[in-house]
Amino acid sequence: MAKILIADDDAHIVRVLSMWLGRHGHQVVTARNGEDALAMLDRAPVDLIISDMNMPVVDGVGVVRAVREKVGAAIPILVLTARCDQDRLNERLGAYGVRVYPKPFLPSQLVVVINQLLGVSACEGSLP
Amino acid sequence: MGDLWKSFRRFLTAEEVPRWFGLSVVLIYLVGMGSIAQFGISQARRETAIRFQGDSQYAVKLLADRIEAIEGDPAADREWLSACQRALREFAANVPSRSVRVLEGLNVIASANPMETGTTIEGRISGASLAGGLEVATIPPATSQASGSDAWHRLIRAPLNPGTEGMGEESAASEVLPASPPRCLEVVLPLEPVESTSLVDQARLLAIILAVLGALFVVYRCLREQLRGVSKIANRLELHRDRIEDDLASLRIGDSLDSVTAGWNELVELTERLLATVQRTEANEELSRVLQRSGGGALSEALNALPDGLIYISDEVRFEYVNSAACRLLGWNAQDVKTMTLSDAQGNELGQKLLELIRGAARPEGDFEARTEVLEAGDDQAQDRSTYRVWLIPLQRARHHGECVVVIRDVSQQVRADRAREEFIAQVTHELRTPLTNIRAYTETLSSGMFEDPKVITECYNVITKETRRLSRLVEDILSVSQLEVGSIELHVDGVDLKSLLSDGIRDVRGLADEKNIDIQLVLPAKLEPIRGDRDKLAVVVNNLLGNAIKYTSANGNVVVGCQAAAEEVVLTFKDNGIGIDLSEHARVFEKFQRGSNPEVQNESGTGIGLYTAREIVRRHGGDIELLSEKNKGSTFMVRLPHRESRAAALTSA
Repeated sequence: MAKILIADDDAHIVRVLSMWLGRHGHQVVTARNGEDALAMLDRAPVDLIISDMNMPVVDGVGVVRAVREKVGAAIPILVLTARCDQDRLNERLGAYGVRVYPKPFLPSQLVVVINQLLGVSACEGSLP
Repeated sequence: MGDLWKSFRRFLTAEEVPRWFGLSVVLIYLVGMGSIAQFGISQARRETAIRFQGDSQYAVKLLADRIEAIEGDPAADREWLSACQRALREFAANVPSRSVRVLEGLNVIASANPMETGTTIEGRISGASLAGGLEVATIPPATSQASGSDAWHRLIRAPLNPGTEGMGEESAASEVLPASPPRCLEVVLPLEPVESTSLVDQARLLAIILAVLGALFVVYRCLREQLRGVSKIANRLELHRDRIEDDLASLRIGDSLDSVTAGWNELVELTERLLATVQRTEANEELSRVLQRSGGGALSEALNALPDGLIYISDEVRFEYVNSAACRLLGWNAQDVKTMTLSDAQGNELGQKLLELIRGAARPEGDFEARTEVLEAGDDQAQDRSTYRVWLIPLQRARHHGECVVVIRDVSQQVRADRAREEFIAQVTHELRTPLTNIRAYTETLSSGMFEDPKVITECYNVITKETRRLSRLVEDILSVSQLEVGSIELHVDGVDLKSLLSDGIRDVRGLADEKNIDIQLVLPAKLEPIRGDRDKLAVVVNNLLGNAIKYTSANGNVVVGCQAAAEEVVLTFKDNGIGIDLSEHARVFEKFQRGSNPEVQNESGTGIGLYTAREIVRRHGGDIELLSEKNKGSTFMVRLPHRESRAAALTSA
């Protein structure tokens, strides 16, 4: 139904998220770092981005900035992080309309959040 | 009139003795001297009068003798009369006299005054008889005898006997004239009333003496009143002579009622105040002097030896004292400091910030607020930026409320350590959460029942197993750091086969290496003796160094693990062609919780304990780790492990 981009340097996370999202009927594209993710976005648009915070080359914040500069607030972004300073991160990224989600997480709950984000953004999109 | 009375009362009540005292003394002195002179003059006059009395008596006697010596009959002889008259006139011409005459009974038979001759006097004045037949009387003024006269006179009467020649005739004549009354010479002289004037003088003298005594009494009373205060002061001084320095206040006179003691009390208070001011000033000067004494002063030397910067700002907003640490920190020259004021001072970055702080703390009243602040200065790079804690402490001294002391402490080390610890905790949390995330996600994948593909299930188990191992190794690492920290790490020494140690290590990281397509080569000599050591700990060393090599080498890189055996030691080398480490950071990367500062390192996960742990373990084995690396030119870590068993054994026992 929706096309989702997953960017994380941890292959296991990418793998497990792909399995769960695929099972819930989403199409998934994956990237191992921020730079790859941005390159993929250039090639084909997606409905939602799930990005890790700490990644080589371009990190989560870099991805958020680049996406917001290019396509504005249209794409919902979910940032996963295992960092301690999640409150600060929320402040920093909240301005970009980004949802920060803590690691470790349960895939089932994450799927619910993703569906919510997709639903909300769909509503917003239909308003004008 | 009222004023006069008032000043008189003041005089009597001794209020204004000082003014009156001199006047009184001068008056008393003049009166005394005057009266003495007066007395002397009257005495002298009296003596003169007495002497004149004697002289006049003698002159009268001589005159009588001369008259007696005139030959002839006084009754009928004209010659006798003229001779007598001449003698009387001569006398009158030489001696001031009122009348000089010869009497026969009441008849004047001859006189210096020719008009008188032949007259009759009204009566005889009888007087006191003196030796030689003289008769003397004092005639008071305004008697009938001396009409119009207001002066005292003296009458001297000398009897005249008939001359020796005419004795016979006389006797004959007496026979003829038996009733002839006796003749006498009578002289009236002006005279000072000797006796009576003396009495007046004495009375006057007595009065003067009484007056002087009275005046002296008044002056004495006044002085006594006045001197009562003075004697009190003298008493106090006497009492406090020994402890005058201890307590100036005890010199004060409690029941001070008159002006002298009140003035004394004011004086004592003033002295107290002055003394206090002097003491404060002295203390202040002493402090300044001690502080300013450069080089020689022990206090100054001690303050200069302090690691903390110390600044003493005087109430004139001058830098009264700046120790050498402060000069160094603020970039000041110790010589220039003395001429600087707060408003014109300059400094380096920290100096400017500090001056701003001090200026901000200065209040319009002229004193300072207490402040405690943290200032940062130095290179903009986070690691080299120094942190300083600054205390501004106003000195609470009366009158010198404008002074303060500023203490500057370099807390960079502490801040850096705190920051490193915080970062470590954040990193450790992150590191622990990463395998936990996988374990949790894959566990739910298994338990959800949504994925029944056996391949997926196997994959899930594998990931869980691997991540669990990673987690436990991480916990081990953290534990070993804390053990290394408290020095309680124990080496279980045994023979360690280096070949298996290295190949097992490579096997553990193979997965990571494959992910980045990094090639790992192991180059070993043909024959390799086992070394003495703790295999598990050495495995940690190998794992940490290999893990770093893979982590900081970009995809498709190379890692070469080698081993050279020498007589004394074995050297294990871990060579990569990764990002390398800048020379300036070679020492730092081995420090606990410290990692390279470049973004390539910071973006990788890591706790900053791997190299620290590795080197500590190697050092416990008596060896060390060396680093050969340059930025962007790869890194080579060389682990030197000595063969000597004794050291390892000694370490075990230790």
